[in-house]
Amino acid sequence: MKKFMNKTISTLAALLFVASTTVVAQQSDYQVQQDFRADYRALVSGLDAAESSDEIASIIDEINELEAEYSGYSDLLDNALFPDTFEERIEDLRSRLNISRENISIIEDLNQRISELESEIAEFRDRLAQLDEEATATAERLQRSAANERRLSGLVSQYRQNLENRDAFVSELLEGLLNRYEAMDAETQSEIRDAAESLEDDPLALLETIISGYINQADRDAGLDASDYVRMRAQHGYFVNVWDRVGERMANAYASDRPVQARQEITDLLAAWEASVNNKLWNSLSTAFNQNGIELPQFTSDDSFNNALNAFVDRATDIAREQNEEADFELYNSFNNYWNNTVKAQWGEYLIAGNILSQGDIAAIDIKLSTWGQDAAPTSNLMFILFLISLAVIIGLIVLLVTKKS
Amino acid sequence: MAKPKLITLSLCVALLFGAAACGPSLVIQDVDYTQPIESVLAPDSNLEVHDQRYAVKFNISPILEEEGVSSVDEIRLIRNRAGFYFLTASGFSNVYVFKTAESELNLQTIIEIPHGELGQPAFNQRNGNIELVDLASGDSYSLNQDGLR
Repeated sequence: MKKFMNKTISTLAALLFVASTTVVAQQSDYQVQQDFRADYRALVSGLDAAESSDEIASIIDEINELEAEYSGYSDLLDNALFPDTFEERIEDLRSRLNISRENISIIEDLNQRISELESEIAEFRDRLAQLDEEATATAERLQRSAANERRLSGLVSQYRQNLENRDAFVSELLEGLLNRYEAMDAETQSEIRDAAESLEDDPLALLETIISGYINQADRDAGLDASDYVRMRAQHGYFVNVWDRVGERMANAYASDRPVQARQEITDLLAAWEASVNNKLWNSLSTAFNQNGIELPQFTSDDSFNNALNAFVDRATDIAREQNEEADFELYNSFNNYWNNTVKAQWGEYLIAGNILSQGDIAAIDIKLSTWGQDAAPTSNLMFILFLISLAVIIGLIVLLVTKKS
Repeated sequence: MAKPKLITLSLCVALLFGAAACGPSLVIQDVDYTQPIESVLAPDSNLEVHDQRYAVKFNISPILEEEGVSSVDEIRLIRNRAGFYFLTASGFSNVYVFKTAESELNLQTIIEIPHGELGQPAFNQRNGNIELVDLASGDSYSLNQDGLR
């Protein structure tokens, strides 16, 4: 029985050997190299087309399988692939794999950034819309309630607060833009340029919306005064400053097909915003000075406002020097008080930031104001009276001495 | 009379050796012509095949005529260590063995396949011989320039 079993096992083993050698014998070397080439090309295409880390991970396995499957044919493949070798082809695949992995990592990083940017823009838009809605509602209530002075004053304060909140929010956004784009290198700019093509909403469009909101705000008649318009000019000045610093980079990154045009569109909107503010600013400033007894010559620009201030102070100084009347001193006091306590203390920072007056312009007025103060101060007659008394005493003493001698 | 003939013959032999000694006599031994992997070549409209890798180009019309077929999609060509070309194709019943000459391939042997027409032939280099496998039937044969082994 045991002998029979051994014989059967030996026969089976022999058959198996014959079968396996038959299988090996039926292999075509040409087909092996053709299959390897096809698998290699498929992997190269797969690497070129890979778009995610998961695909890369799957290709890593396939490369390992390819290497394991064909390593027994390495001599054959070395001949078939000459001047390449099997080892070099596998190395080539791994090197391509690393490049693809790096590219995909960049793409995934970029996609992440796009998604963050999009949600950031959406968030900004929502918040802006909310702020605009609040300001518009307050402005409409302001227009409806003209009668009740106290209520009106409260609404104006609320509206002013709405605008300040919006300004603060936009300033924060501009600060973010400065941090992100001012020192942006060419590589990042190029990455953003690639990513921007898939952005549905981009920061340039957001900036246009913000500026349009500012234009509407300036055009709206909502009981604002000079201080509000001066603050608007300051915000405009800050915006222009930021745009000058990051505009070119942003336009190149987000509107690479039309950077000059995109930049010009924002620049034009900024000019329109300034014009809208100026429409209200000069009248409101003139009114504010008038209400404090200061009648400035007419002005319609930054320079003419500065000229008007200088002309007023020069003229008042001349008059004070010539007349030295009580009224001149009162006018000086009135101007000095308004200039120092309101114009400089409350608006000074905004006037400079909005490029309405420079630090030098303000200093020049200060110097003139000092001269005006000296000239306007009433001159005292006490010394003259004392001189006359002294003269009278001397004459009296002389007369007394002469009378005594004679 | 026999002496002058012998002298003349000796002179001729000496002349022959002399000529042979003056001509090129350099022979390189043990040249290995092995083509590691067969070439699969598609004939063009003129029935010419061109193996760019191993730099050989010829017309297969005489072979097709010999084989009694009018056309083939592709032929399979391999060269053994001794430098003989082995050629066959799907549908052929023979393997044609050629030796090279100046601008010529001269038929050395026609090896008839015992099981008839080849379905899906392929040549491999195996242990100094050419292995012919028919992937369709699973048959395999070991060949050299003299025939089946």
